[in-house]
Amino acid sequence: MPATTENNNQGSFLGRISIRRNQVLSMDGTHDQEMEDLELFQKHVGDRFSDLLSSTTDDPSSDALLSIAWLRKLLDEFLCCEAEFKAVVMMGREPSQIAKPPLDKLLPELLDRLVKSLDICNAVALGIDALKNIQRLAEVAVAALDQAPIGEGQVRRAKKALSSLVTTMVQEDKDPSKGTERTRSFGKRSSNTTNQAKSAFRSLSWTMAKNWSSAKQIHAMSSNLNAPRGAESSGLAQPVYIMSTVLVFVMWTLVAAVPCQDRNGLGTHVGLPRQLSWAHPMIGLQEKIAEEWKKKEKKGCVGVLEEMQRLDKLGQSLIEFADSFQFPAETERLEEVKAQVEELGDICRKMDEGLEPLQQQIREVFHRAVRTRTEFLLVLDQAGKLAAPST
Amino acid sequence: MESIPLDTAEKIILRWDSTASEEAREKMIFDGEREEVDLYLHAVDEIQRSLSSVSLSDDPSKVNSALQIAMARLEDEFRNILISHTSPIHPEDPHDTPSQPHHPDDHHDDDDHREEVEVEIDDNNNNNRRNSNKLLRFNSEDGSGGSSVNSSSYRSTSSIREMDLIPCDAVYDLRCIAERMISSGYLRECIQVYGSVRKSAVDASFRRLGVEKLSIGDVQRLEWDQLEAKIRRWIKAAKLCVRTLFASEKKLCEQIFDGLGTAIDDACFMETVKGPAIQLFNFAEAISISRRSPEKLFKILDLHDALMDLMPDIDVVFDSKSSESIRVQAAEILSRLGEAARGILSEFENAVLKEPSKVPVPGGTIHPLTRYVMNYISLISDYKVTLNELIVCKPSTGSRYSGDPSTPELDLGELEGKTPLAVHLIWIIVILQFNLDGKSKHYKDASLSHLFIMNNVHYIVQKVRGSPELREMIGDDYLRKLTGRFRQAATSYQRATWVRVLYCLRDEGLHVSGGFSSGVSKSALRERFKAFNAMFEEVHRTQAVWLIPDSQLREELRISISEKLIPAYRSFLGRFRSHIESGRHPENYIKYSVEDLEDAVLDFFEGIPVSQHLRRRSQ
Repeated sequence: MPATTENNNQGSFLGRISIRRNQVLSMDGTHDQEMEDLELFQKHVGDRFSDLLSSTTDDPSSDALLSIAWLRKLLDEFLCCEAEFKAVVMMGREPSQIAKPPLDKLLPELLDRLVKSLDICNAVALGIDALKNIQRLAEVAVAALDQAPIGEGQVRRAKKALSSLVTTMVQEDKDPSKGTERTRSFGKRSSNTTNQAKSAFRSLSWTMAKNWSSAKQIHAMSSNLNAPRGAESSGLAQPVYIMSTVLVFVMWTLVAAVPCQDRNGLGTHVGLPRQLSWAHPMIGLQEKIAEEWKKKEKKGCVGVLEEMQRLDKLGQSLIEFADSFQFPAETERLEEVKAQVEELGDICRKMDEGLEPLQQQIREVFHRAVRTRTEFLLVLDQAGKLAAPST
Repeated sequence: MESIPLDTAEKIILRWDSTASEEAREKMIFDGEREEVDLYLHAVDEIQRSLSSVSLSDDPSKVNSALQIAMARLEDEFRNILISHTSPIHPEDPHDTPSQPHHPDDHHDDDDHREEVEVEIDDNNNNNRRNSNKLLRFNSEDGSGGSSVNSSSYRSTSSIREMDLIPCDAVYDLRCIAERMISSGYLRECIQVYGSVRKSAVDASFRRLGVEKLSIGDVQRLEWDQLEAKIRRWIKAAKLCVRTLFASEKKLCEQIFDGLGTAIDDACFMETVKGPAIQLFNFAEAISISRRSPEKLFKILDLHDALMDLMPDIDVVFDSKSSESIRVQAAEILSRLGEAARGILSEFENAVLKEPSKVPVPGGTIHPLTRYVMNYISLISDYKVTLNELIVCKPSTGSRYSGDPSTPELDLGELEGKTPLAVHLIWIIVILQFNLDGKSKHYKDASLSHLFIMNNVHYIVQKVRGSPELREMIGDDYLRKLTGRFRQAATSYQRATWVRVLYCLRDEGLHVSGGFSSGVSKSALRERFKAFNAMFEEVHRTQAVWLIPDSQLREELRISISEKLIPAYRSFLGRFRSHIESGRHPENYIKYSVEDLEDAVLDFFEGIPVSQHLRRRSQ
């Protein structure tokens, strides 16, 4: 059973790859070894995503699909795949072997995808900052309502925070640069502060470059993603294709989960190969995520991060409670609210524990992408397959 | 002011409830009379006091409600004060930075007194643009004397210059409000409102400073010369951002929040500047991961140095635990820039080795590659301080392939005690020569090959001699080797051309051995003269078009030729002219006088074609 639940994921894959490849073997010997390694890589990818898929059942001891904890697992698995990929392709091979056709074309395409994923990482990191803001608003609501007895003051305070929260979640998704807080308690303001007021009411998060679109970036990354056919499917083209697919899928998932700039059109499926067995768990995940995405798109809410969805529900429900609140409230209602506030607090705790590490992991993914790209550029260069850079 | 009764306090709070009355919405307490402000604050204090008191005689919910209304109101007031006093930083405004001394770097456009070397390895490009001017080093302003505007600053780095972003009395008001919000448990709301207003202020300042929002993809797509301009601007902007903008925001946070709780000022500071700081560094990061090519080296070093220069300030401004990620990121970028520099140097060496142009340079003159490489390493020597820190490994000099004729070799043993950078420079010269050797073989004429090598190695020597830094790094030992090399090439050239010409003037074979007349074979002599004339004319015509750009070298070689040619011809003429002149048509054989030949030698290596026939002065 693949050790995806072990803590040292990094170490576990090395045991799976035979290090005998470094020995000089006869042509036939190395060939068999290579085939074995390539097949193992495929199998491992399939296994990893199968684990991720299976951890999404309603079993409370496992992480819910698209929760923060699940995303962290996803990134862990991604980093393992990536490490194994590099080992499979690079270890024991001369640059000229690696860079021979069709990899002389396929590798640059992968490297281009890696560069594109860097911007995605940055956008997702910004999105996590936006989530931290949302977390803070939720914490206000918890602080307000986590009292007995609940008075009007607390309810008003909670409602203010939760309205902000709900509004922000919608705005973050639409267009963060144009977001305005309209739910403030101001009515009219004197004119000389209006403009300043407007500029102060910007969205709470920072944005990517103008006109940058996360959905478009994902689509660009997934172009030309074609499974190798015929003779090519038994060589290095296969792991390159697998890695590219994994990369695009993981980026797509991140963008779906975390608020990112301009996600219009993200719901379109990234093309995954139905005929290849290692891809089946990924396809399963994709279907689930796409389903959630459609639901959210209809409701016009921020992405499909599990915690966000729960915050949304709880927020709306508690706002309703606040709207109809009269002191003193009924005991039953208060019991309900107490439970909801507890759940809210629970989500805040999860966010508090998980968002920072998630951000760090994204940064780690960033570093890895840069490193891998640099290494492969070197390989291509040494093999004389590198066109002069245009920039 | 004595404390006010609770119900009075409540009334005051309710009067200013903006959800309840038009009037409350339209006026701001803190815009009005000071008495009004004080009254309100006292009312809030009273509410707070009563909440924490043990007596439960009053309905707590009413007081709680009043508290919430007060907090909401204070939040609005807080926001309003911040907004009214927020204006973006004006970097050129003399009022803002009165203690800033004049810096030529800040105010002149870089292009005024800096010219750049355009370096390209281009097969057919014979003219290196503007290759004689050196790129002046971007001088970092260090210790430029800006002591902080506010005398109570405790910063240790003298390059940080904070400004007071908000006037004192407004700060006082803000602090009054913050105190009360925080002690009532409304810290998060306070951070939220503070962050949202200050963020847009910083954003506006960024736009003023010309900090662009570019994605990594954008940066990859831009042309390098556009990026160079952006790098220059970024360096200027980054210094202002870290040393003034961020430092000032930090100071403001401290002024408002210091002492009101644990690290609240840090939290507000990070809330405000984390995004902008990351956005700022993102550009440098994008540059550090761009594709490596030789022409990028120097700007990347500039960027590296500027960031290095900023690190102490970054460490001071972002010194809290919560801002660790920014410090870490800056350090990562610095490291990447260093890696990039190392990678580019490697790329460069590779490119020099592999530069494939086969078209021989006409006239055997200096190859563009030689110029390019020597200019490049000359610039490298200018940047030696930084590069000596970054380049820590000696080059792998092909010892793996010892004896392999397809790679150059360098004996590192002779270079003990040299810095790795210096070894790299010598290695580059070795590679260059290796490449030139290959190119010299494309000349059909072996003499021209030697001349070509002589010209180019001599150029290398001149460039090294001409730059004290370069000379110091290369060392006189290796310089001697190079000198020997071009001298040897000169000798090889002479042998290749002149041995056969002078062979015509030899004594052997002209004397007829024989019985009673120890005479000279007239026919053989005539052949000799004809051969000499023909050869010399051909050499003269051919080699007049060849070029030795360095005038001194040209002179020396001509003299060397003359020293062998003229005496030999003079002596030959002296001994044998009578035999020719006693025969028919002597002018067909003795075409040239010694003076003619001396004049003709002056035509050599000028790069100018001569007319078909030599002048004959004596005719």
